[in-house]
Amino acid sequence: MYSLEVRNLTKTFNKVVAVDNASFEVPDGSIFGLIGRNGAGKTTTIRMMMGIYLPDNGDVVLKGVKVGQEFKNRVGYLPEERGLYKKMKVMDTLLYFAELKGKTGRTVHKKAEEYLKRFDLYDRRLAKVEDLSKGNQQKLQFIGTILHDPEFIILDEPFSGLDPVNTNMLKDIILEMKSQGKVIIFSTHLMDFAEKMCDHIAMIDHGKIILKGSLNDIKAKHSQKNVSLSYDGDISFLQGHPIVEKIADYGNTTGVRLKEANQTQQLLKLLMERNVIVKKFDANDISLQEIFIEYAGQEEGGANV
Amino acid sequence: MFNYRILGIIKRELKEKFLSKSFIITTIMFPMLLFVIGGVQAFLVTDEAASKLNIVCEDQNLTQSFQKELAVPESDLMKEGKFSFNFYTMNREELKKHLDDNKKSMLDDKLTGVIFVPDTVFNNKIMEYYSKSPNNLSLSRKLNEPINNVLIGAYFSSKALSANELKFMRGGIEVNGFKISKDENIKEEGFGSIALSWVFGLLLYLSLLMSGQMMLQSVIEEKSSRIAEVILSSVSPREMMTGKIIGSAITALIQMGIWLATVITVASPALNFLPADITVSIKAVQVIFLMVNFAVGLVLFLSLFGMVGSIFDNPQDAQSGMWPVMMLIMIPFFVAMSMMQNPNSPIGNVTALLPFTSIMVMPVKMTIVEVPIWQLALSIVVNIVAIFFVFPIAGKIYRVGILRTGKKPKWSEVVKWLKYKY
Repeated sequence: MYSLEVRNLTKTFNKVVAVDNASFEVPDGSIFGLIGRNGAGKTTTIRMMMGIYLPDNGDVVLKGVKVGQEFKNRVGYLPEERGLYKKMKVMDTLLYFAELKGKTGRTVHKKAEEYLKRFDLYDRRLAKVEDLSKGNQQKLQFIGTILHDPEFIILDEPFSGLDPVNTNMLKDIILEMKSQGKVIIFSTHLMDFAEKMCDHIAMIDHGKIILKGSLNDIKAKHSQKNVSLSYDGDISFLQGHPIVEKIADYGNTTGVRLKEANQTQQLLKLLMERNVIVKKFDANDISLQEIFIEYAGQEEGGANV
Repeated sequence: MFNYRILGIIKRELKEKFLSKSFIITTIMFPMLLFVIGGVQAFLVTDEAASKLNIVCEDQNLTQSFQKELAVPESDLMKEGKFSFNFYTMNREELKKHLDDNKKSMLDDKLTGVIFVPDTVFNNKIMEYYSKSPNNLSLSRKLNEPINNVLIGAYFSSKALSANELKFMRGGIEVNGFKISKDENIKEEGFGSIALSWVFGLLLYLSLLMSGQMMLQSVIEEKSSRIAEVILSSVSPREMMTGKIIGSAITALIQMGIWLATVITVASPALNFLPADITVSIKAVQVIFLMVNFAVGLVLFLSLFGMVGSIFDNPQDAQSGMWPVMMLIMIPFFVAMSMMQNPNSPIGNVTALLPFTSIMVMPVKMTIVEVPIWQLALSIVVNIVAIFFVFPIAGKIYRVGILRTGKKPKWSEVVKWLKYKY
């Protein structure tokens, strides 16, 4: 059952199509990654899902019903460009964010205290936001995102600009939220994170969704044609060989993409015949990075890891 | 229209504003300033140094007349206790010696000055005043009338004039102003209404500019600190703008209430704070109109300031967008101030009923001339109608602008934002 569906979203700014007929489905209880280069349309898509932008066309549908203000209250949203009121106190900030989601009273207050304790911010609850370190401001922003106990957590480039400690902390929170049955949607241009964390992905490029589905399925489908190879010797004969579509040299390993999935044994046989010493032959491995490059191409420097 | 989200935003705005230094300072400073100015003025008036004057006449009879007029304890001058006089009869030669003798005491401020009244005074009314500081305005203002009276008395004493005729001649003129209004009674009116109009105009002007400025800054801050998008994930842009406007308006209204209460207190006759010739009568209808008009004006102008703030992401750029809005407050303010000279100027009458301008002009006009109730009501209605036009436009631009960052947009682009579907 898909809990959240994005249907044919389109948004044009000044004749530039930022998002072009984008559709994808976010399954229940999953971590969903919206991946793409900078400027691919991730933030615009997410803002339309949040109702911050009105789409020119298309809908965001939750369990069959078009989303509105009610949905906003059930979402915790962390925008890419984070922001807090500098002069406001830490505790006041949290209570204000929760109040705008319709959560007030003792329960929220207690919960805020719990989170502050957990993230080592309890001592600073009466401090002004501007007096916190940047790392602590990031923590405060996460707490503000999840304090009202949202069912959906939408994070736009959550890992950008985080220090390693906070990066780990955020990963833990995301996994914890998942174990509580919440749906997490995040956008990233960092394939590494997406590959490690996501169950499902949608890949967006130039405003179009170019690939979507469960990460396992996508990898399985693409890995069959790909062989990751370590060797000693000369493999230049593979260039232009009828069964090889492409060779990509990554230094220590070489990726070989075959024309057909069932040609892996034939490739191994060829290497043996030419006396190439095969150290590693992995016929079931492909990184999301490779898939991404395959689909989105490598122009403009490609995706950075 | 109001939901918990708007209320939440209003609450935050109020908390932030009421606890801000600028609010506390401006709210308290103004009444203090009013009291301090009043107090200093009163102090200056009473603190004038005692004046010791020698009056020297060439004519013996004139000396006696001066003595009779000025040295009597009942005269106004003597009652104030600030003057003491010595009288001499001398000719010009003797005067020279008198001046030499008294030079030192004049330089030491023991003697304020010497007034010499030559015989020729009956031809041309010219006298001479010798002093360290001969151009003392307050002295001449006080002495002109009694001296003139003495001269008139002496001049006409030889003519056959009755005491009444003499009294008429000696009297100065006085003009009493009467305000014509719909009330049955024609009331005598002093400077009070002019002073009141000035205070009303100034308070409105300062308060609108100040709260507008604060609104602008707070929107720019929300935009540049990127908090706006966080807030927009919970509320709609319109709710956000409405909450901010209402929050700021409530703050400004409370501040205005405190200021008006101070003005009313200062003006109340019971306190005896104002000089006797200024009586201010503040009518309840004036206060009510002022507050309602101010509330409407706040919503109107704060929408504009909020809109301008959303277009720019730093205060420097915002200056260029702010001046048209400032003009809408400043020009009517000057029109209003000019109405004190000429309360029935056509431009004043027209601007008192136009949207935007009437916010400043009408309250001032109302205190100077009698304005029919329907005109007061009309000016409010006109501005409420204006709000219905301005608010949706401001809301649209705010909606687009608040998430825009980077290059300062051109005005033509801003106009295009109105057509965006956001």
